[in-house]
Amino acid sequence: MFKSRIGGKLTLELDAAELDVLSQLFDQMADLLEDSEGEVDADPLAKLLNMSGSTQISEDPALARLFPDGYSDDEHASADFRRFTEQDLKARKVVALNTARESLKDWQGKSSITQQQALDWLKALNDLRLVLGTRLEITDERDRDYDSDEPGFHLYNYLTYLQGTLIDALT
Amino acid sequence: MSAMPVEDLAIDLLTDRPWITLVWNDPINLMTYVTYVFQSYFGYDKPKAELLMLDVHEKGRAVVSTGTREEMERDVAAMHSYGLWATLQKDD
Repeated sequence: MFKSRIGGKLTLELDAAELDVLSQLFDQMADLLEDSEGEVDADPLAKLLNMSGSTQISEDPALARLFPDGYSDDEHASADFRRFTEQDLKARKVVALNTARESLKDWQGKSSITQQQALDWLKALNDLRLVLGTRLEITDERDRDYDSDEPGFHLYNYLTYLQGTLIDALT
Repeated sequence: MSAMPVEDLAIDLLTDRPWITLVWNDPINLMTYVTYVFQSYFGYDKPKAELLMLDVHEKGRAVVSTGTREEMERDVAAMHSYGLWATLQKDD
């Protein structure tokens, strides 16, 4: 769990099981973001100009949730918005994810987290909940406390708890 | 006679602010998280951020910012980086 400390810093405490679960989930998230590169056009000039983003929303519901359309009523504007912003959005997600993964390296049971790192953790945990929640087909808010033996729901509830402690520590 | 006072029309023309950013309700993002994002990114105070969050939650969507098209594209991209479901459109 995250705890706030005097001076604006935070402490993250995780036991071995939590560390294991989070490491695996972050690795899978890194794979998912990397795999999504395959959907990008391979035009080298466009890549050079950093405009190589795809124009279509992903067919994978989890990726579609991470990279949604920018316009709800204008397909053409949505395609342009995606072309110019998706690569940057992906890069920002990777940065947040890597911050979280970095702080789990050489784990000693607990770690000090700066405010800036905490913001990255917040985004990384939220992205995990978005992907897992989409995979579990959570479509109703009552599902948040869904009581099921399915391991996915235990993970989802754990991530919800952990993100909750982080928001409490930040506010 | 005139539906719109002349001074209001002038303000509209001068500010060129006909675009809005909408945040849509979703079943995954925590209410406390959405409130935190509105405070942290837009700099809204907690009561305003909570009101907007409740609007999203109860009405399905809320206008969280108003400005030029470029400004709204920036806000939508920022909301996506936080994992919020946001879109922009012309305010009509």
